[in-house]
Amino acid sequence: MSVQTAEASDAVQGAIRQRVNRRSVVILALLIATALILTAITLSCGRGCFAPGDVIAALMGDDASGATFVVNDLRLPRALMSVVTGLCFGLGGVAFQVMLRNPLASPDIIGISASAGAAAVFAIVILAFDGWLVSAVAVVSGLLVATLIWALSSNRGAAGARLILIGIGVSAMLDSVTAYILLEAPAWDRAEAMRWLTGSVNGAQLPDVIPVLGALIVFGGLLAASARDLNILRLGDDAARALGVHTEATRLRVTLAAVGLVAFATSAAGPIAFVAFLSGPIAARLLGGSRGILAAAGLVGAILVLAGDFTGQFLLPARLPVGVVTGAVGAPFLLYLIVRTNRNGGTI
Amino acid sequence: MSFDRTLEAQMLYAGYDQRAILEDVTLGLRPGQITAIVGGNASGKSTLLRTLARILPTQSGTVLLDGKSLHQMRSRDVAQIMGLLPQSPIAPEGITVADLVGRGRHPHHGLFSRWGDDDERAVSEALKATGIEALAERELDTLSGGQRQRAWIAMALAQETELLLLDEPTTFLDVSHQVDVLDVLVDMNTSRGTTIVMVLHDLNLAARYADHLIAVADKGIYAEGAPADILTEALVRDVFGLECQIINDPVSNTPAMVPIGRHKVARRTNNAA
Repeated sequence: MSVQTAEASDAVQGAIRQRVNRRSVVILALLIATALILTAITLSCGRGCFAPGDVIAALMGDDASGATFVVNDLRLPRALMSVVTGLCFGLGGVAFQVMLRNPLASPDIIGISASAGAAAVFAIVILAFDGWLVSAVAVVSGLLVATLIWALSSNRGAAGARLILIGIGVSAMLDSVTAYILLEAPAWDRAEAMRWLTGSVNGAQLPDVIPVLGALIVFGGLLAASARDLNILRLGDDAARALGVHTEATRLRVTLAAVGLVAFATSAAGPIAFVAFLSGPIAARLLGGSRGILAAAGLVGAILVLAGDFTGQFLLPARLPVGVVTGAVGAPFLLYLIVRTNRNGGTI
Repeated sequence: MSFDRTLEAQMLYAGYDQRAILEDVTLGLRPGQITAIVGGNASGKSTLLRTLARILPTQSGTVLLDGKSLHQMRSRDVAQIMGLLPQSPIAPEGITVADLVGRGRHPHHGLFSRWGDDDERAVSEALKATGIEALAERELDTLSGGQRQRAWIAMALAQETELLLLDEPTTFLDVSHQVDVLDVLVDMNTSRGTTIVMVLHDLNLAARYADHLIAVADKGIYAEGAPADILTEALVRDVFGLECQIINDPVSNTPAMVPIGRHKVARRTNNAA
C-alpha cells in the first residue's frame, strides 16, 4: 500500500473517532450541567426562593438571614441524596441492561430493587436495625434474589424473556411482603410508608447520604473497572470470549456492582420507581452509539431524581414523593419498550 | 511472510452439557494455510471450531496452541494470537463500522492503556483490506448483509492475530458476496500469512478456496487433506449422504461436486456420445 493513502485513511479514522468522542463529551457535559442546574434549583427554590448569593453564603457557613437552616439542613441533604441515589440507580440499571442485552432487564423490573426494599423494611421494622446494617441486609437480599432469578431462569442465554418474566413475578411477591410489613407497623406515618413503596427523598439527613456515597465509590469503581469488558460483552458471548473477555467473571463483577449500587440506594431512599429502568435507554438515545453509556446513564438517573423530586414537591397541586412522579413517567415508557422489543427484539 | 503457530487437538471430546458431539478427535492445523471444515448439518463442524477457539470447554483431551494447553492460558494472551468470528455476533444498536472494528483491538489493551497509533493503523488497515473504508462512519444497521459481514471480518482482522477462525462466514450472503468474503480471506492469507480455519457450508467453495479440507462425520474426522486428494464421490456419500459426481472446476482447477438427486437427472453422458 502506498504511504500516502495509508496516511489519508488514518486521518479519516482519526477524524471519525474524534467526532464520536466529541459527541460523548458534549452529551456528558450537557448532562453534568443539567444536573448541576437542577441541584442549584433544589437548593435555592422551594416554597420561596433564595437569592443565589444567600444560598452560597449559607453553604459556606456564613449567616445568611434565615437561609442557613433551610438550605443546609433541609435542601442540601435532599439534593445530595437525590444526586447520589440517582447515580446509583442509573449506573446499576444500565449495567444490568447492557449485560443482559435487554432494556427490560433492569433491577427494578426483575425484582432486585424490590428485594432490597423488602429486606430494608424487614430490617428496620422487625429487626430494629439502622444505618449500615440496613444497607448490608439489603445488599445480601439483592444478591440472593439475583442468584434465585438466575437459577430459576438458567437456560443458555439467561437474558431471555424467561428471566424477565420470573423477575417480574419475584418482584410482585416481594412488593407484597413490603406492603404486609408496613401494614403491621402501625407507628409509621403514610409518608414514611410511601418511601418504601415508591421511593422518596423526603426528610433526608446528611448522615443517611454517606453510606450511599460510599457504595457509589466502591461499587461504581468496580463497575468502571469492568466497563471495557462489559462493552465487549455486548457483541455476544462468543465474540467477547474470542476477544479475550472472561465472560463469567465479568458477569459476576458487574452483577455484584449493580446489586450493590441499587441495594444501597434503595435502603436509603426506597426503590425510586423506574429510575434504574429509564436511565439507560435515555442515555443510549442521547449518545446514539457513542461511548460513555455508563456515565451518561448515571447522570440521567441523577437528573431524573432531582427533576422528579422538584416536580413532586412544588410543580404539582399535591406534594408527592419522587417515586410517584418517576413512576408516572416510567410506566408508559415501559409499555413503549415492551411493544418495541416485541417488534424487533431490540437491545439497548 | 508466514508464522509458525501451531494449533492442535489431542484426543478431544467436546460437545454441549454432557452430550459428546465429537469423540476422540486428534488433528493439527497447518500454519499459513487456509483450512475449511465441512460436514453435514449437526455433524459437529461448528463444535470443532468453537472448541478449538476455546469458546466451548473440552470434555476431555486438550487443545494445544503452540504446544501449550489452550484452556490454561490467559484468555487475553490467546486473543492476541487467535481470533474468531462467531456465527451470529450481536451488533449493539447504533454502533458505527469504525467503532465496531475498533473493538477488535480489545485484547491489546489493559485496564488503563489508551487508544494509540497502533490501534488507528490496525483499524484503518482492516477497513482497507475489507474494502469498507468509505463506510467507516455509517451505522452497522444501515448496511447490506454483505457489507455488514465485511465489517465483522474487519473487526476480526483489526485484532491482528496470526490465526483466524471463522464460523460460517458466508452464511446469509448471496453468492457474489460469498465469493467476495472468501477472496478477502485469501488476501489476508497471502499478504499477512494469516492461518485461516473456517467452517463452510458450500462444499464447492470450500474445495476451491481451501488448501486443506477437514470432513467431519460420525463424531469424528472422516478425512482430511488437500481437496484434490480427498474430495471423492465416496466421501460425499459417507459424509453428506448424497450421490454425486466429482468434476474438475474449470475456473480454479480444483474438484467440484455436482449433486445427483432423484429428479432432473439426464440420461447418462453416453447419450451425448
